[in-house]
Amino acid sequence: MASMQTSERFSAREIRHYTFRAGLSRTQGGLMELISEVYTSILGGLTLLTMAGALIVALRHNLGVGDESALLASAVAPGFHSVTLLQASATVLLTLAAALLSLEMTMGPVAMTLPQTAWWLGLPVRRRGFIQPGFFKSLIWPTIAAVMVVLPMALGMAAQASPGRLALSVLCGAGLAWLLYGIAAWCQVTGSGAWLRKVTGAITLLAPLTLVATALFNNAAGAAAITGQHTAWMEYLPTSWPLLVADGATWPLLIVALALGLLVVVNANLERISTAALKKAAAAGAYAASSLLSMDATELSRSLSAGPTTGSTKVRLRLAFKGGTELSRSVKTLAATHATMALRSPAVLLRVLVLAAIPASLASVEFLGNAVLIAVALYLCAHFAATALGATARFSAGNPAVDMLMPLPAKAVRQVHYLVPGVLMTLWMPVSFGLLLALGVGSPALLGLAVLAGPGLGAATLRAAFRPAPDWNMPAVASPTGPIPTGAIRSFLIGPDLTLIVLLPVVICLISGGVPLVAFPAQLTLTWLAFLWGTHIRKPKSAKDGGMFGTPPAK
Amino acid sequence: MPRAYTSMVMNQSGSASKNDSPGSQQSPRRDVVRAEKLQAGYAGKAVCGVVSFSLHAAQSLALVGPNGAGKSTVVKTVVGQLEAVSGTTLVNGAEVDDRTLDFRREVAVVFDDDAFFPALTVEEHLAIVSAGHGVEDVEAVIAAELEFFGLAALAKSRPYNLSSGQRRRMLLAAAFVRPRSLLVLDEPEQRLDTAMRHKLADRLRAEVDAGLALLVVTHDPDFLAAVATKALFIADTIHTMTPRQAAAAIASENPHAD
Repeated sequence: MASMQTSERFSAREIRHYTFRAGLSRTQGGLMELISEVYTSILGGLTLLTMAGALIVALRHNLGVGDESALLASAVAPGFHSVTLLQASATVLLTLAAALLSLEMTMGPVAMTLPQTAWWLGLPVRRRGFIQPGFFKSLIWPTIAAVMVVLPMALGMAAQASPGRLALSVLCGAGLAWLLYGIAAWCQVTGSGAWLRKVTGAITLLAPLTLVATALFNNAAGAAAITGQHTAWMEYLPTSWPLLVADGATWPLLIVALALGLLVVVNANLERISTAALKKAAAAGAYAASSLLSMDATELSRSLSAGPTTGSTKVRLRLAFKGGTELSRSVKTLAATHATMALRSPAVLLRVLVLAAIPASLASVEFLGNAVLIAVALYLCAHFAATALGATARFSAGNPAVDMLMPLPAKAVRQVHYLVPGVLMTLWMPVSFGLLLALGVGSPALLGLAVLAGPGLGAATLRAAFRPAPDWNMPAVASPTGPIPTGAIRSFLIGPDLTLIVLLPVVICLISGGVPLVAFPAQLTLTWLAFLWGTHIRKPKSAKDGGMFGTPPAK
Repeated sequence: MPRAYTSMVMNQSGSASKNDSPGSQQSPRRDVVRAEKLQAGYAGKAVCGVVSFSLHAAQSLALVGPNGAGKSTVVKTVVGQLEAVSGTTLVNGAEVDDRTLDFRREVAVVFDDDAFFPALTVEEHLAIVSAGHGVEDVEAVIAAELEFFGLAALAKSRPYNLSSGQRRRMLLAAAFVRPRSLLVLDEPEQRLDTAMRHKLADRLRAEVDAGLALLVVTHDPDFLAAVATKALFIADTIHTMTPRQAAAAIASENPHAD
């Protein structure tokens, strides 16, 4: 064995740089390759939206719903009692602040990846060099979030929006975001804050529902309706302070000093974070990142609260069946298994239900009952709901052996996977459009069209769940954050594309303000095509080429 | 050869040596690990009974027992990756804290963590460990370990292109390209072929004889018999055993087996 002489030559910084550069040294592309990966998809999406826009204009003209631009037209019925803008903005700010804190508490906020924790944390070098860059870099995300949220709100809400006031308002918002970041980091340093996570989870789930509930109550209560006077106190919630600053107050800016003080204290204590806490955050971060990549809001929320779970209830459905053919018994068992898994995660079903109410929440807000905004919210919520119902399918995609346990052809197994998301999304669409109709948006015909679109969304669930994984065997592509595998960006669009295609007729009719008869066969056709697409099983490349290594298949 | 026990071997042969690490400054009979009334578990809930043991330099303690008995949990607690439900663990005389430089300098741990930098090669992973520990002749040390673990031809491969067993070899190699006075292995025999198991067992035994303290979890009676100098059977109750008794107990999963 060779002798091993040692000296303290390498710092955490040098090791960090070595890891980064070694990975980049073999990449074969840069930013342009990243863009070229997705430009066809983006062009396709833009073409689709342009065609939809042209259809909307033509439909509005033919239906005679007015010459007003669809971008400005209100979708809410005249005389509708909306939720005040103050209540809406205070609720949104509170929800986003809770979501941000929850996100930060799970992702770290001191961010390391799983390989970094596995290969760096055991080294006898000061960890500050590994931890501190992530601590400061991660500050950029709450800052960007604060600017993106506070600036438009301050612009819309301020009585006199001068540039100086707007800047101070954004600064106050950033201060609030830094304070939340500091609180999350302090919880990581001290290993505390479990209760805080529960509170933020409850707020993010329930707060949006209060908007729909208020709007429905207001339209039924008449004189007893909740007015701006009743909700004026909401402006004094700490999460609403940036709006106070936009209106002229300066005292809320103290939050900036408070946040900076907390960040200094956390920075001084960074090396107190335990290995276990860093590994736990890295595992949760990896889970949350994969949820983000799959655009799965429910798995993301789950990863933000308690991490991955296999279900918390003890629901038991019948899994063994007698009678019928072997094929039918296997299908029933598999379908019952999928249904059991769905029912054992009631929180997922609750989140899917909440997502159905989000477009109505938007419609309920004064000045926001715009058809285009509602359509965009509908698309996002439909996709998040559809992917949320794909946990079982995603598990099978990652563990294909599970699907091979039943004596069923692969195609049949894939179609059984479709059942739970297909049925639930078929129920989801009338719930969402029913709420919109209750608030005066749309018509019974639109509700019927939405029911036809539901099964297609179940197919989008499968397309997203069974998307191919990024290929690390191909030359990696350089990015500012390090090498990323070929196809990583493109795979992000697999799933959302089918949701968009399925929803096109419904969305076009929602924005147009009327439902022509031709929309029904068009919707049925798209739903059927989506089903075929979503349940299609890709053949392995070798089979497409005619056999392994490109050789002709054996006769 | 690792700094800590290289110096110990030289001391035993009467030569003077530079002892520049805490682990190497102790006598061979001093405890490297001492666990006192330790209860391991998760979120304050114990998963096994109370464990007490000590491990000196040039000793090897094997933790054995059925699946789910809590062996890995005990080991993770001993190296500070889990908080103890109760009791204490001292490593080199200090309460276990993997945030200290001394601890990380002396203790090498191999769990079944399949986490790799996807863009880095096998030898680059090992270089991080070796260079991070200040090893001077990094390339030679890595080349020797790649050769020993049968990975020389795969030095420029990326981990996700390796088989599961090859990735296991790579993780083990990472523990040998750095200095150590305590080596902690969780089921090192898993996913290794028979020849590699024997080779690893011989190597570990030689290193223990040279002064290394080894804490190992294993289910393989042959591996245990080759490597361990004493054993702890963890099941519903805890039993201290000789390696021979433990090997028999593994075969029958009966702690009272002879």
